[in-house]
Amino acid sequence: MSARKLGRLVGRILLLVAAFSAVFPVFWTLLNAFKNRVDIVTPTPLFIFTPTLDNFAYVLGRESVFAGLINSLIISGASVLIGALLGLPAAYAIARYPNRWSRDVQFFVLSLRFLPPVAIAIPLMVIWLDFGLYDTRLSMIVTYTLLTLATVIWLSVPAFARVPKEVEEAARVDGYGPYAIFFLIALPIALRSLIGAVAFAFVLVWNEFLIALMLTTSDAKTLPIVASELTQLGRDVPWGILNASVVLLSIPPLLFIGVLSGMLNSAFKRKTS
Amino acid sequence: MKQKNSLPAIFLTPAMMILAVLALVPTVYAIYISLQNRELSRPDGDFVGLANYIDLFSDRRFINAIGVSLTWEAVTVGMTLIVAVGLGILLFECASPRMRNILALLFLMPVILPRVSAAFVWKFAFHPLYGIATYPYKAITGQPLDLLSNPATALATVALVDVWQWGLFFSVIVLKLLQTLPPQPFEAARLDHARTWETYTHIAIPMLKAPLISLAFVKMIESLRAFDLIYVMTRGGPGITTETLDMYAFSQGFIESGRISYASSMAVLMMIATSIVFTFIWKRVQ
Repeated sequence: MSARKLGRLVGRILLLVAAFSAVFPVFWTLLNAFKNRVDIVTPTPLFIFTPTLDNFAYVLGRESVFAGLINSLIISGASVLIGALLGLPAAYAIARYPNRWSRDVQFFVLSLRFLPPVAIAIPLMVIWLDFGLYDTRLSMIVTYTLLTLATVIWLSVPAFARVPKEVEEAARVDGYGPYAIFFLIALPIALRSLIGAVAFAFVLVWNEFLIALMLTTSDAKTLPIVASELTQLGRDVPWGILNASVVLLSIPPLLFIGVLSGMLNSAFKRKTS
Repeated sequence: MKQKNSLPAIFLTPAMMILAVLALVPTVYAIYISLQNRELSRPDGDFVGLANYIDLFSDRRFINAIGVSLTWEAVTVGMTLIVAVGLGILLFECASPRMRNILALLFLMPVILPRVSAAFVWKFAFHPLYGIATYPYKAITGQPLDLLSNPATALATVALVDVWQWGLFFSVIVLKLLQTLPPQPFEAARLDHARTWETYTHIAIPMLKAPLISLAFVKMIESLRAFDLIYVMTRGGPGITTETLDMYAFSQGFIESGRISYASSMAVLMMIATSIVFTFIWKRVQ
């Protein structure tokens, strides 16, 4: 009996260690973002210091960071919007009107994820150069639509499949047409999971790095690229500014943590019943 | 009876057309470029047939990159699953429902972070002089610890960040999977005085074999996207010890020589290899 209790205690300690490892590095980065350089470059880590807002002021005042932020918002926003507008109906059609190609269509959508990003980015760079669209927001939006569209479809098919068929059947008996059923019945019922799918697509393109690195050089640079350039600065590194820019980059995705964890919950809850 | 209606065609066609164009055009173009000798500085190239591909096989850096990529896949997929199953069981076994919810949220955080952020957070934590993770070592031994510049530890250190992101996330999924299992087999085993770990190795994990294999599959695909972490943390160094295939293709195509055709032939080989392997695994999993 006591062995079991001891085991439980050890297990809990391990869990706390894991939780600590999940949170602390991020917390430490946040703390450093509020430090002056002298408080970061110390032989022993400092927990108590006079906080400063200089780093954030500097980062937000820098033109490159601000431009990157705007580019990221426009490119991610537009590609997610297009992905959702086209992807949600497509997912519904796959979930509700299965035919002999449905499996192949689903596999095709998934297989896009197998493509190494490098393999897409190199030819796209040449293509956009030839079109004169290299390093523009438009070319980035089109490229990212490939990612958002595939992701939205992939995650929304199960969400639509979980809508009870009886509800849609009842609506049909009441004289609803197929389009009315989609817009007035299926979409509202599946809404929570669908928001999760769209949020996931947003986080994916917001965080995307390799393609943006290859397809932009100045005008359309997204925030991850700008932040990574800051981290490559030479010896006399402005650590506080770096930490602040990383914090700035990480805030939007972390805002969606609740939505994404909700999506995870509903994906598994329904499976049991 | 299903009457004919226009919805499937109207809903599906635009999305599929766009996906097909956006996926096929670059793919075909990648093959087309790989048969030429184009360089960034010289937009027009001549057809050289399979010369790029033949060169690849005598390129020792390419062979090295294959080895690094395969090691990376094996280490990150294996470690992620071990961490996920271990922590998932602990969450299921030792945590109260409230604690589970809080921990699940915390464990989700690393994977949602942009990889560039995660890479920087840890790059700074491993900084030999000011890093918080290397500080205990420095305090005890008085020596700085430089894991990222040491050829023996660099790849493992970057892999640690990947496992930090994915292992914690997958442990939450393992927890949810365990919660979907029926309780009867566990109770029966408990009545037979099975030890706790035996109920997992003999009952729970075999019952979850299929979803765990799917998780491994997802992780294999995601591990192909190692570039961001490696680019920010080591740039393929020290030397070429952490240079994966995508890192090498990138430096051939962009940084060093701008040999897009050569880089493209590498990308085509990667595309073929991953498509074959993953299609094969996918058909087996289904």
